[in-house]
Amino acid sequence: MADTMGHSATATRNTSVAIGFCLLAVAPQIFEFIWSIGTIFGWGAGRGPATVLISHATALVAGAPGALIGSIGGDTKKASSDVLLALIYSYPIFAVAIVTLFMTIRSAQDYVGGIVLMALALFALWASSDLQGMRGFSFGAGTAPRMFGGLLVGLGAAIALTGLLTDGPSMAHYSWRGPLFVMASIVFFALAIRPLGVVVSAFTSFLIAAMGTHETRWVETIIVGACLTLGCALLFPYVLGLPMPMFPRFLVQ
Amino acid sequence: MELFANLAHGFAVAFSPINLLMCLIGALVGTLVGVLPGIGTIATVAMLLPITFGLPPVGALIMLAGIYYGAQYGGSTTSILVNIPGEATSVVTAIDGHQMAKQGRAGPALAIAAIGSFFAGCVATVLIAVLGAPLTKLALAFGPAEYFSLMVLGLIFAVVLAKGSVLKAIAMIVFGLLLSMVGSDIETGASRMAFNIPELADGLGFATVAMGVFGFAEIIRNLDAGAEMNRDLVQQKITGLMPTRKDLVDSAPAIVRGTILGSILGILPGGGAVIASFAAYTLEKKIAKDPSRFGRGAIEGVAAPESANNAAAQTSFIPLLTLGIPPNAVMALMVGAMTIHGIVPGPQVMQKQPDLVWGMIASMWIGNLMLIIINLPLVGIWVRLLRVPYRLMFPSIVIFCAIGIYSVNNAPVDVILAGIFGLVGYWLIKHDFEPAPLLLGMVLGPLMEENLRRALLISRGDWSVFLTRPLSAVLLGIAAFLLVLTVLPALRSKRDEVFTESEN
Repeated sequence: MADTMGHSATATRNTSVAIGFCLLAVAPQIFEFIWSIGTIFGWGAGRGPATVLISHATALVAGAPGALIGSIGGDTKKASSDVLLALIYSYPIFAVAIVTLFMTIRSAQDYVGGIVLMALALFALWASSDLQGMRGFSFGAGTAPRMFGGLLVGLGAAIALTGLLTDGPSMAHYSWRGPLFVMASIVFFALAIRPLGVVVSAFTSFLIAAMGTHETRWVETIIVGACLTLGCALLFPYVLGLPMPMFPRFLVQ
Repeated sequence: MELFANLAHGFAVAFSPINLLMCLIGALVGTLVGVLPGIGTIATVAMLLPITFGLPPVGALIMLAGIYYGAQYGGSTTSILVNIPGEATSVVTAIDGHQMAKQGRAGPALAIAAIGSFFAGCVATVLIAVLGAPLTKLALAFGPAEYFSLMVLGLIFAVVLAKGSVLKAIAMIVFGLLLSMVGSDIETGASRMAFNIPELADGLGFATVAMGVFGFAEIIRNLDAGAEMNRDLVQQKITGLMPTRKDLVDSAPAIVRGTILGSILGILPGGGAVIASFAAYTLEKKIAKDPSRFGRGAIEGVAAPESANNAAAQTSFIPLLTLGIPPNAVMALMVGAMTIHGIVPGPQVMQKQPDLVWGMIASMWIGNLMLIIINLPLVGIWVRLLRVPYRLMFPSIVIFCAIGIYSVNNAPVDVILAGIFGLVGYWLIKHDFEPAPLLLGMVLGPLMEENLRRALLISRGDWSVFLTRPLSAVLLGIAAFLLVLTVLPALRSKRDEVFTESEN
C-alpha cells in the first residue's frame, strides 16, 4: 500500500509519528502540570503549576545538559529528580523521534508499539532511580526494577527494529466513541460511589456507558439500567454482605 | 490406600449440603457468564471473585472452581450453536461444532462435548489426587534457586505457547514483571514506583489489572466493531440430544487422546486450557484418515478439543496446590482468592488444609456431573440469552465490573486503575500484543523476585548457583532448549499453523 501512496505520503506519516514521540517524551511533565492546576483550587497536594513549569523547563533546557557535561567531567553532584527525568526519559525519546524522521517505517504497528514500550521502561527506570541498588551481594530495593526495566528497554528497541526491517501491518484504526464513554462511565462511578451510593452512581454510569454506541435506544436502556441497578443494589450489600453505601449521603442524613 | 482415604474425605466434604449448593451455583453462574460472548474465562472469574468473599474458604474455592469450568462449558455451548466462541478455549470447537449444528446435529455435538468434558474431568480428578502427594514431596526438595528456575521455565512456556511474535510475548512478560514491582519492596519495605500515591503502596491489585485488560479492554474493542455482532443463530429446535452409536465409536478415541494431551499441557506451567484445545484439534486433524472431513462437521473435532480443555483446566490446579505456583492467569486469581481467605498456597496446604484441597478436588468431579445433568436441558435458555443485544449487555458488564472492583477493597481508586488498564489493554490489542503473558508475569513477579534474591543471598552473590544445583540446571536447560526451538524457523511455521487453525 505504501508504494502506491508515494514518497510524500510516507514523509508526512513519519513527521506525525515523530511529533507523537516528542509529545510522549514530555508526557509526564505535561501530566504533572495538569495535575498541579488542581492545587490552585486546593485539590491534592504537590507543587503549584508555576513551580512545575519552571523547574521542568529549566531541567529540560539547562539542567540536564549541565548534568550530562558534569558527569563526563567527573562531577558526581546529585541531580534533582526533574533533571533525572529529562536525562533518563525525555532525552532518549527525543533522540528516537529525531531518528524516526530519517527512517522508512515498514510496520508502524510494531515500530510504535516497540517505542512506546521502551518509553514505559525508561519511565520505570526513572521511577526506580531513587531506590537503593546493590549492597554487596544482596539486592537493594531498586535492583530488580532496574534489571527488568533495562531488559524491557532492550526488548522494546528490538520490537521497534523489527518494525523497521520487516513488512507488517500499519497502525490500526482507533475509534474514540467507545473508549471515551466507557471510561467516562468508569470514572464517574469511581467518583460517585462514596458520596452518592450504589443506586444513583450505578444507574447514571449505565446511561453514560450506553452512549458508547450509536445503536442505543433510550427507552429500553433506561428500563434495563433500572433493573440492573435494582439487582446490584440487592445482590452486593444484602445477598453477598459487602458493605457499600446505597443512597446519596445528603438524603440519608 | 492413602489416596482413596483422601478422596473419600474429599467427597465427604464436597457432599455437605452447603458445598453442594456452592458447587451448583458456581457451575450455573459460570455457565451463564461463559455463554455471554465478549467476557472470557479470566474476566468471568475476576468479575465474580467478590461474590465469594463472604463465604467460608472451602465453599468459596469450590464455587470459584465451579465458575471456572462452568464458564468453559458455557463457551463451548455458544460456539456450537451460534458460532461465537464465548471463551478462547472453545474457538476450535466452533469450527466443526457449528457445522454439525447447521446439519441439524446440534444435539449430538452438545452431548459429545459434555460427555468428553465429563470423561476428561474424571481422569483429571484422579490425576490430581494421584500426583498431589508425590509432587508435594518434590516441592520440599525445592530451594529458592529451583523455584526461580521453575518459574523461568513457566514463563518460557507461556512465550512458546503464546500466539504471534516471540519477542512481543517476552516483552509482555517483562512488562508484567515490572508492573508487579509497584508498591512496597518485600524485604526493605521501601516504596517502589508508587509516586507517593497511598493506594499504590500495596501494589497493583491483580484482579484490578485482570479486569481492566481482559474485561474493559474487550468491551471497548467490541464497540469498535459495532455493537451489532453478526449472530448466526441456529433457529430450529434442538431435538435428539443422544448421539448415535457411530458418533460414540468415532469420538471415543478422540476423547481419550484429547484428555491425555490436555492433562499434560495443563500441568505444565504457562500452559493451560486454550493451548490444549488447539493442540488437540491439530492432533486429530493430523492423524485422521481423511483430514478433509474436518471443518465440515467431524465429531472428533468437537470431542477432542472439548476433552482437552476441560482436562487442562483441572490439571492446572496441580502446580498451584502442590508447588504454590499458579500456572496461568485464572489460577493466579485463585491465589488471590486463597490469600483473601488467609490461605497461602503451597506444599503445606495439602497437609494443613486437607478439607480444602480434597474437598475442592472432589467437588470438581461433582461439578462436572452437575454440568451434564443440568445444562443439557437448559440449552434452550442459554440460546435465548444470546439474543440479548450487545448494546444492552455492554453497559451492564461495565457496571457489574465496576461494582465488583470497588467491593474488593472498597477503594474508588481501584475502579479508575482498572479503567486505565482497560485503555492499556485496548492499546495492546491494537498493537498485536498478547495480554495473557503480561498477567502471568505480573503474578509470578513477586515470587520470582523473592526467590531470586534469596537464592543469591544464600550463594553470597554467586550467579552460578542456578547452574550448579542439578534440579535448577535441568529446569533452566529445558527452558533454554524450548526457547531455541521456538525461534528455529521450522518449528515456527508449525506453531503459526496451529494458531491460524482458528481463522478457517
